[in-house]
Amino acid sequence: MNDRGLHVSHLTKRFGGGDTEVVAIRDVSLDVSPGEIVLIMGPSGSGKTTLLLMLGALLKPTEGAITLDGLELSALSEARLPDIRMRQFGFIFQDFNLLSALNVQDNVAFAAELAGLGRKEAHKKAAQLLTELGLGHRLRFAPEKLSGGEKQRVAIARALINDPALILADEPTANLDSGHGHETMRLLREIASERGHSVVIVSHDQRIKDIADRVLWLEDGRFTDAVSMVIDPVCGMALQVDRAAATLAHSGTTYYFCSRGCSWEFQESPDEFVRGAVPERVR
Amino acid sequence: MIRLALRNLVQNKTRLLVSVGGVGLALTLVFFFDAVFTGAAGRLTLYIDRSGADVWVSQEGVRTMHMSASSLPASVTGEVAAVPGVEEAIPILYSTDMIQAKDSEHIAYVFGLPQDATFGGPWKIVDGAARAGPGEVIIDHSIAASAGLRVGDRVTVLGQELEIAGLTSGTSSLVNSVAFVTMDDFARARGQNQVISFVLVKVAADESPSGVAARIGQNVDGVTVQTSQQFAHEERKLVKDMSTDIINIMNTAGFLTGLAVVALTIYIATISRRKEYGVLKAMGARNGALYRVVVIQALVSVALGLFTGLGITLLIAALAPRVSESLVLTVSLSSLLRVTVVSAVIAGVAAALPASQLARLEPVAIIRRG
Repeated sequence: MNDRGLHVSHLTKRFGGGDTEVVAIRDVSLDVSPGEIVLIMGPSGSGKTTLLLMLGALLKPTEGAITLDGLELSALSEARLPDIRMRQFGFIFQDFNLLSALNVQDNVAFAAELAGLGRKEAHKKAAQLLTELGLGHRLRFAPEKLSGGEKQRVAIARALINDPALILADEPTANLDSGHGHETMRLLREIASERGHSVVIVSHDQRIKDIADRVLWLEDGRFTDAVSMVIDPVCGMALQVDRAAATLAHSGTTYYFCSRGCSWEFQESPDEFVRGAVPERVR
Repeated sequence: MIRLALRNLVQNKTRLLVSVGGVGLALTLVFFFDAVFTGAAGRLTLYIDRSGADVWVSQEGVRTMHMSASSLPASVTGEVAAVPGVEEAIPILYSTDMIQAKDSEHIAYVFGLPQDATFGGPWKIVDGAARAGPGEVIIDHSIAASAGLRVGDRVTVLGQELEIAGLTSGTSSLVNSVAFVTMDDFARARGQNQVISFVLVKVAADESPSGVAARIGQNVDGVTVQTSQQFAHEERKLVKDMSTDIINIMNTAGFLTGLAVVALTIYIATISRRKEYGVLKAMGARNGALYRVVVIQALVSVALGLFTGLGITLLIAALAPRVSESLVLTVSLSSLLRVTVVSAVIAGVAAALPASQLARLEPVAIIRRG
């Protein structure tokens, strides 16, 4: 096994005990290579965030091992974890969580200063990174003055400033409109491809599948092997085959729709919508 | 961390204003009463400080003017004057009495002086004579003003009706003033002229007050001898001891008010940023770093409050004499140091509760559970 990247082996997380015990994650194994984007999807309560917290060394697994670039995180003492989080992980949150009292540049530089970089150097690095992410003209802006997409780019810059091995993103597009959501996804793709960071994303947003190298479906605390996902050719929404509202056959292919309205629209001019909406296996 | 703490502090200006204003007013309370007592104590020793005497001789065991009575045989003056190093020795009589005029009464420290005394008399005359003659008295001009009296009017002092010969300035305090009569008038009122209260001593130019005081102590029996500085110190100590309880109550009230204001504002400021602190923890910030943010905020709030309190007190001290000459506020260095220490304690205690909240804060709670 290559030491680089994230290796998760037989991870289990239980909360409580006895009759009230809840098993949030059951025997999950996962490898994420440098430069790879893994999208973890699943219904609410499936254990996605619990898994993300364990991957980010914010929650101790009950069983199993997590290794990042050869370092077994699950075996480290609590006292060592803050330093590991500071240098090895970059966190991106659904609601950005920028420090409201600091301006854009200070927000990003602060993370570098926490990791031990000098103030001047941290600010220089932050300015450079923000400029690369298209925010060079917003360095002195307060977070509240930014659009949602800009806030998320600042959060991404903050996650990247210490050059972490792994970026963990929790619903990074949930609070963004379509345009900013795509922009964020493009950025995450660049981060993985060009900078070589491993990226694990937890999300309900089907659009993120477009940039993911792998999509995992987590249900009841474990990855399910085969979930058939299809794209509605009319509205572009991803949906499970067995939950489609309507199906239609056209030119020898079956198409699945999220609603009857989409199927009626498709029927009127099917050729306009046919663009490879073949059922795909997500794992 | 310092930058984050300061930015957090100034981001909500209303909250900062409330915090600094609250602490400032609370510390003003502490400063103010301290300044009033220091000013009053200063006025109480004003005669000792300004009498011109280098050494005070009193009855054995008597170390203060107030809350005690000194009674010496008149012959002691001669014994003291004979001690080597004594340039001049004058006897004085002293008592607390009322200046009664028209419909008002004013407490006064009354001093009886020999008519030919070269020192020990009033030091700043604003109207009339500088020395009281037989049947005359010199009183403070603020007392005269409040009672509607002028030079030439008559008042009753020590049970005798005396004519106001002159008016002094700067001898009155919140509770009393100083009046000067002749020693003969004083003795007559007391019905005895062979007893004096104190002997004031001026030492020779080449002698030290402490050296001469020691010599007097060795050569004259039945007396306690102190330099003017020692005598004033004992006097201030007595006043301080008498007022300690009141000052302590005021200090405690100020301390608790300041503590409540700072603790509440820092607590609210911390709780309102709970999520941000959680994110910082998730990013790897240790508790110690977050404590620093809270402590810096508390220290800066209290420091600004301290300056505000000091500024308000100094302003009141500057304006008070315009309202009443008797009201003297003195902000001493020891008072400043004491309030600074109290402020530091307020900051430390105020930061403790938010710091404990941060210690328990779980970054996991910040990230939505899926």
